[in-house]
Amino acid sequence: MKIQRVFFVSVLSLFVSMYTYPFLCAAEEPGTLLMKTIDSGLSVLKEPSLQGPEKVQERRKRLWEEISPIFNFNEMSKRALGLHWKKRTDTEKKEFVELFTNILKDAYIGKTDTYSGEKIVFLKEKQDEKKYATVQTKIITNTGTEVLVDYRMLSNDGKWTIYDVIIEGVSLVNNYRSQFNNILTKSSFADLIQKIKDKKG
Amino acid sequence: MVLRLDGKYNTYIGKLYGRQAMRKYAYVTWFFVLTLFFPLAILWAESISERVPVVSSLETISDSKTSDSDIQNKNEETEEPEPEETEEMSEVTQVKDPLQSVNRAMFAFNDKAFHYFFKPIYTGYNSMIPVQARVSVKNFYTNIKMPISFFNCLFQSNFKGAGTEMLRFVVNSTIGVGGFLDPAKSRFHINKQERDFGQTLGKYKMEPGTYLVLPFLGPSTSRDAIGLAGDAVLNPLTWVSYFFLTPIESLGNYTYDSVNDLSIDTGNTYESITKPAIDPYIAVQDAYIQNRKKKVKD
Repeated sequence: MKIQRVFFVSVLSLFVSMYTYPFLCAAEEPGTLLMKTIDSGLSVLKEPSLQGPEKVQERRKRLWEEISPIFNFNEMSKRALGLHWKKRTDTEKKEFVELFTNILKDAYIGKTDTYSGEKIVFLKEKQDEKKYATVQTKIITNTGTEVLVDYRMLSNDGKWTIYDVIIEGVSLVNNYRSQFNNILTKSSFADLIQKIKDKKG
Repeated sequence: MVLRLDGKYNTYIGKLYGRQAMRKYAYVTWFFVLTLFFPLAILWAESISERVPVVSSLETISDSKTSDSDIQNKNEETEEPEPEETEEMSEVTQVKDPLQSVNRAMFAFNDKAFHYFFKPIYTGYNSMIPVQARVSVKNFYTNIKMPISFFNCLFQSNFKGAGTEMLRFVVNSTIGVGGFLDPAKSRFHINKQERDFGQTLGKYKMEPGTYLVLPFLGPSTSRDAIGLAGDAVLNPLTWVSYFFLTPIESLGNYTYDSVNDLSIDTGNTYESITKPAIDPYIAVQDAYIQNRKKKVKD
């Protein structure tokens, strides 16, 4: 009788662990990590204590703290400069990463001020090799318009970070690369830096 | 009976339809001649422009500082992929843009038109009309324009897509009260097929050609401008406009349709590309080319 019960419990626990194991492992998967970050970002936007125009700065700051760790700004800057990256010195690279991060921050954090209940849905994820992954998501606006957003992610010793965002087939990094390349073929790197600084002001 | 040459019915068409209709035929003909003329002229101009030799990438960038701006982009597309991830990293979207100065001027004009004409209109319109009503208007126009996506699905031999479009049209025109609602999507989850003639031409391996910025319509390429003309033929609204509406009425119709579309989009697409951009012209150009590439690939 007792033997039977022990046997039953162990078989049951085996089954339970068999079914839950993939979910436990999935915590480290890029898609899960991304959706977790998005959810925490959305919860900041929805938080009642942070509503209203006078709380804008505080809300932006909280949101930035939530979502910035998942972005790999170094990699984004490197890719946005493309072939021009190699020719830059370390200090130039550092300054550029800082400026580019600020552009992205101003542009995309600012856009969340008009958040009005858009939903973000996970579609699927694809992992090429070990190091790269694409997570496909869909934004559904309250007018029913659907926007496809893909996140390209890169693993650094198991830590997944975003290095590109692709909205309806338009890669953010490629878009900046075209702009930077266009400027750099006509003028110098110093001019580019100046243009980015002017943009900020 | 004497036939008066300068009289009312002096041609065959004139005899059949009367003078008013004849004038309309003349408008139609002129419209298509004009819309076809520019893209074709550009295609012709492209074929006589000199071929750019294929040079490997790293030399090109240093060289290209001295060369003309319109062939730089072309040179860089011939980059050799370097080991590891650099292939993706160094790829620059290839655009033929020999008309850049004209395009930039037109871009500036469109930008002004957007900010000082369309934006105030749709902002006012937004504040007056509730969002559900605006979505209904959009549904109505989308439903009427069904032949565009239907025929383009057929041209692209996407028969499933064509069937979907037909089914959507039938469902939305009946249950959806003449197209004002979209039960095909909300109830039956049949999604709209976005197909246009520029995409069809792309599927038949036609190159995008020269980048153009059209007045009011915005970014385009020579291929997509031909596509626009093709879509205009497939669009029932065009025919309704020519036969039943005066030019000012049809202009009003098109403006209303586009303002309504903008009001749902709230200009987000345009502003989210131009606002964070360092060079908005290039940003819009690149976004357009990338987006079209994806649509042709789908």
